[in-house]
Amino acid sequence: MKSNAMIDRYRWYEMVGIYAGIALFLTFVLAPFVEGFLVSLKPLTYLFSSPYKFWPQNASFDAYFTMWERVPLLGRYIFNSILISTIGTLIGVILITPAAYAFARFDFRGRGPLLGAFLAVNMFSGAVLLIPLYRLMRSFGLLNTYFAMIVPGVAFVIPTGIWLLRTYMLRIPQELEEAALADGASRFYTFRRVILPLAMPGISVVAIYSFLTIYAQQFIYALTFNSKTEYMPLPVGLYAFFGRQDVIWNELMAASFLGVLPVFVVFIYLQRYLVAGMTAGALKT
Amino acid sequence: MGQLNFSNIHKRFGAAEIIKGIDLEVEKGEFVVFVGPSGCGKSTLLRMLAGLEEVTKGDIVIDGVKVNELPPVKRGIAMVFQSYALYPHMTVFENIAFPLRVERTKEEELKEKVHAAARILQLDQRLEQKPGQLSGGQRQRVAIGRAIVREPKIFLFDEPLSNLDAALRAEMRIELTKLHKRLKATMIYVTHDQVEAMTMADRIVVLNSGEIAQNGAPLELYHKPENLFVAGFIGNPKMNFLPVTCKGAGRDGVKVEYDGRTITVPVAPRQGIEGSKLTLGIRPEHIHLGQGDLDIPVAPTVIERLGANTVVYAVLPGGDTENYCALIPGSAPVRTDETMETGVFAKDCHLFDEDGAAFERRVEMKEVDPELLVATG
Repeated sequence: MKSNAMIDRYRWYEMVGIYAGIALFLTFVLAPFVEGFLVSLKPLTYLFSSPYKFWPQNASFDAYFTMWERVPLLGRYIFNSILISTIGTLIGVILITPAAYAFARFDFRGRGPLLGAFLAVNMFSGAVLLIPLYRLMRSFGLLNTYFAMIVPGVAFVIPTGIWLLRTYMLRIPQELEEAALADGASRFYTFRRVILPLAMPGISVVAIYSFLTIYAQQFIYALTFNSKTEYMPLPVGLYAFFGRQDVIWNELMAASFLGVLPVFVVFIYLQRYLVAGMTAGALKT
Repeated sequence: MGQLNFSNIHKRFGAAEIIKGIDLEVEKGEFVVFVGPSGCGKSTLLRMLAGLEEVTKGDIVIDGVKVNELPPVKRGIAMVFQSYALYPHMTVFENIAFPLRVERTKEEELKEKVHAAARILQLDQRLEQKPGQLSGGQRQRVAIGRAIVREPKIFLFDEPLSNLDAALRAEMRIELTKLHKRLKATMIYVTHDQVEAMTMADRIVVLNSGEIAQNGAPLELYHKPENLFVAGFIGNPKMNFLPVTCKGAGRDGVKVEYDGRTITVPVAPRQGIEGSKLTLGIRPEHIHLGQGDLDIPVAPTVIERLGANTVVYAVLPGGDTENYCALIPGSAPVRTDETMETGVFAKDCHLFDEDGAAFERRVEMKEVDPELLVATG
């Protein structure tokens, strides 16, 4: 489809440049996935064939079946991963939404410094704070529970989540709330009936962001705060494929792909909200 | 006591005093327009009345009850916002029903009321649509519908027509006037557009930097402005102000001199004004080609031909921009840079003292219905 807007017109060499740039970028991003997928198709014996062959010989999906036998808890790991991320996302959204509204609308003492502090927190990764977190978890008696992985995950998505959603809520015209107030609605009623529905795209963005972040971060918390095998999420569970002598690479890759799948599905399903939520202009009333 | 009373209302935002002591009485069923330039405090006054802004000092009384601390809904007011403030995710029906839902009105009664409001506003066919699918005028009507269903004692309008184009604005003015007739409710209307004020109001309150400059019927403001501000604000194009010197005062008025010529303006004289600097006010529509009681020869710099009227702009001696404007009916035989004679009759002139306060005009306005010069309740 040809766009008619003048601003979208490019000369042929500009188009070539644009596509070349995209291709280069995509190669870097996608190459590991392609390689990982190809490895998962190769029988283990062919993996270290010399010279190395990029395209698999005797390709098969066997690894996707045998992995369940080699690591019987694999299903449990995948379930744990999703469980931790889902519960973390729910808690995150429930905490972030009212907080973001408060930061967007109420003028209270210390609002600016608090928002600044949230940004500052983002500069630390969870890994830097592992030892204090460990002590915290121990004093609360949360070690070796699901909550040991959920709580820090949620804690680290809250600041960014509040920033994201606050910005979105600032774009909802204040007159809508004043109109509701003038019509006799309480603040909470207005929040529920007016703000929440209008902020839905923003809330979706926060939910997706939280899910992806917690999913990706759970590895480090699981490794440190949890020693119970049956609570382990997939990234830690993948260590089961590291045998005493060799690593079952093809099954490891297959399991990884299976683990990426839920995130992939969530992303495909919600990405239109993500784009819409991040780029939406002022709400037209 | 009217239905609505403001007494000594003050509003302060930090150090800035926005409203500086307003006293006003509004009768039941009146259509009162607050008008003034931006920043004069008219919207703030309305928002205080609505209960969206706190009153710093003074009392707002509705039907004998002081409402300063009451939430909007308990004041018996409904407000229509400049941006309409429609809920984009709800249908027209739900938008209009919103105040009733808040009150937990029974479903049947709610439907009945919403449909009744929709009929009045000709929105029957649009009830299932979302605000985004409506035109500006329709959105405006939905906003009014949301105000109507609550059956408030007082309607508040905050510049409701400013987002519409000129044609639609004229149409909505007529609709609002008809609506006021039909509902017989008190309406307080804020605008910066003097045409809206003149056409719809029973009474106009002109505000200037937080104070009432004048309060009266539209034609009263037009014919007898009390000060320079109101004289300049009401009327389009703006009134011309000429610096004059007082040459004496007698029974038939005040004699003033402009550029070597004198004119006796029929206004109530005052003691000891001889020799003082006064301001002569002449509305552009009262200037005609040819001779008058005062002749002012000018060379037009810009001429706007509107067909029905010709607007002539000129620079008077001593001025640096266009400070003289004449509105001449029809297509006047005038050309830029060619000196023309303009004249004005003494009975059409306004006179203001050094502080900007008007001398009371002593003219019979035979062509004006005397009732229109008094604000009716």
